[in-house]
Amino acid sequence: MCGRSERARGPMTGSSMTTDVAITGMGVISAAGANLTETLASLRAGERNAAPVTLFDTALRNPVFEVRGDLPASRQMGMRSVALALVATEEALQDARLRDGLGESRTGVCFGTTVASQLNDTDFYKEFRAKGSAPPEAIDRFLRCNVAEAVSRAVGASGPCCTVTNACTSGADAIGIALSWLRNGICDVAIAGGADELNHIPLCGFASLGILSESLCAPFDEKRDGLNLGEGAGVLVLERTTSAKSRGLDPKLFLRGYGAAADAYHLTAPRPDGAGLDSAMRWALAEAGLTTDEISFVNAHGTSTRDNDSVEATVLARVLGDSISFLSTKGYTGHTLGAAGAIEAVFSAAALRERWVPSSAGFSEKGEDVCIAPLTETIPVDGAHAMSTSLGFGGNNAALVISAGDGLRNGISDR
Amino acid sequence: MNVVGIGVVFTRGRGVDALESALQEGWVPPSPGCSSSGSAGIPAYRVPEDAYADKVTARRLRRADRFSRIATASALAAVRESGLELETTQESVGLILATAFGPHVTNFRFLDDTLEFGEALGSPTTFSNTLHNAAASHIASLVGVRGPTLTVTSFTFAFHEALVLAEAWISEGRCSHVLVGAADVCGSVMEYACGEKLTIATDGKIRPFALAPSPTAVPGEGSAFLLLTGEDAPQRHCRVSARHETPSSVAAAADVILLDADGTVGDESGYLELVEPNTTLAAYTPLFGSMLTGSSIHAAIAALMLRNQVCYASPVADNPHGLAVCAAMEQMEQGKLQRIDCIRLDCDGRSRRIVLQS
Repeated sequence: MCGRSERARGPMTGSSMTTDVAITGMGVISAAGANLTETLASLRAGERNAAPVTLFDTALRNPVFEVRGDLPASRQMGMRSVALALVATEEALQDARLRDGLGESRTGVCFGTTVASQLNDTDFYKEFRAKGSAPPEAIDRFLRCNVAEAVSRAVGASGPCCTVTNACTSGADAIGIALSWLRNGICDVAIAGGADELNHIPLCGFASLGILSESLCAPFDEKRDGLNLGEGAGVLVLERTTSAKSRGLDPKLFLRGYGAAADAYHLTAPRPDGAGLDSAMRWALAEAGLTTDEISFVNAHGTSTRDNDSVEATVLARVLGDSISFLSTKGYTGHTLGAAGAIEAVFSAAALRERWVPSSAGFSEKGEDVCIAPLTETIPVDGAHAMSTSLGFGGNNAALVISAGDGLRNGISDR
Repeated sequence: MNVVGIGVVFTRGRGVDALESALQEGWVPPSPGCSSSGSAGIPAYRVPEDAYADKVTARRLRRADRFSRIATASALAAVRESGLELETTQESVGLILATAFGPHVTNFRFLDDTLEFGEALGSPTTFSNTLHNAAASHIASLVGVRGPTLTVTSFTFAFHEALVLAEAWISEGRCSHVLVGAADVCGSVMEYACGEKLTIATDGKIRPFALAPSPTAVPGEGSAFLLLTGEDAPQRHCRVSARHETPSSVAAAADVILLDADGTVGDESGYLELVEPNTTLAAYTPLFGSMLTGSSIHAAIAALMLRNQVCYASPVADNPHGLAVCAAMEQMEQGKLQRIDCIRLDCDGRSRRIVLQS
């Protein structure tokens, strides 16, 4: 059974601390849409834009979620992950009314990624293997495409700069790092998120692990048989609430808590008892100053693999109760790896703002090993607090708590 | 933050004893070749297997790649040196591993698999070790880290950012201890890239005080870790912090400045603007080689210098600018060596420093 239990330890936070960091901008790009407006329409319509790979040559025919349309060449810098990051960043900065410049603020940039942290260039390596040399342009491209450094340069940021490469929790961790930066006065504004392109090498890697589905993924479902890879980027502009107000903004969304914990168990499998995820969720809740019954919904990691979904559902029920509303959005975006946690944080914040949350795409029948079922239909959001959870290879677990301010809770959104 | 443990794995061995020995013995020539094939193209400071192989951990690391083994050996050395039993502590222990290139050798090995056997027929074990955070996962598992565990990457300041974040985590109570370190390894593609992008010192000598527009490099590999706690905890070695400020010149407060000059970032003449004429300079990059995360090893050396109150001789002290270089080992009066700054420049001329204080 998946009973609720109380946490044993956690951070010491005061109520004044928990709304000290505002979300003033959001940007997102994925197979579900090139911006947040498109994405929300796509999610509401239940679109699942998956198909075999078109971006590169491969014999693997598993469905993937590619971003449709051309990305602006000026933003590519030779690496698709950076282009995705810059598209989402531009939207988030515009949303935050910072598109015209960051002014004198110390702006930090923190991005999660997996693909962009390696010289994942098959053509370069093929030639190097064959000849012992290859065009050094590939090396130059790699060296100038550290995602956070590339975004920082592009927007003229002057604060801390960090690329997190923590497998599938990278995007959530990047946002959590930005929260620490802001709360410790390391920067005034933070551009935080994740970006990952669909790439041949991880496609081969996940195929070798035997966890790519040959059909559309079905998170938490009895018939789930693996994940679909995707690509995209999600970005939040975070700033101290006082700083946002000084710019004339009236923040309505807040990043309140971040918890991260290691399983210290296995390189690719989650700890069966979910102790790491449990700890991360409870830490995030305590940091947010919230109790378990105050969470309205969870945007779960929900990859559609047997292990992840079973462990995650068990922990969601244990920490938040059997009746918690939760969903996986991987059925709309695919698994975007280092971007996933950030894209899903954007989805969580947007759901609080828009006051609805979509169904868990691909789900129809609860797996025997899955103790609670995700949402099967779009529902209105009544509460004020959401959680986004991420699990990753290496045994990483991360949880973010996002809250709506009074204006949104009372239905007085100006957006 | 207080430094309570130091661990290092480099070309001359593992642990503070090996580091002290190397500092006392000075420069030795590198071996030929960046990769295990031992190609004779470029000299490099490779880490020998006995510096990271460990009977105690051999079974649990049997599936780990060389990058993970080197990083894990270094992290474990820091924990052992601290004398703390992190596995049994009830407090929250965090881990941050910084790297510039991560397990790139394993990534290319996985590519070899897919090219030779087919797209879906690569080794799953090899693929799981291609992840940058595989090393941190191995460390977390062996040390018993249950708190936040991160791997961060950048091409110059990854270790600096890791220190800044560790300080934030300790300050906000997220962690009582943070194991912060860096690791990078050499390989055949790296050898090719170094040959293409850097000026390699054919005599094997990095000359850190040349501070030339086109400095020479000798690729290196290794790892260093510091185990950190808050300043209210007992201090074992020294205090440390990383600064974001980029002053036009470093304040004269430092007793010694360690220059991270190693030939990896192009024009190094910018260092000349960052040092006061009379401040004692030292650089130990010739002991471990050119590494974008070499600041971590310099930070470990600085912590040792403060503990031992010794300014070790710079192993290659060629000094064309007439700087105040520490060219001979000097045992200081107790308490005289109070502060050491480690300074690093990036390719764009930006600087960062790590400040270590008694």
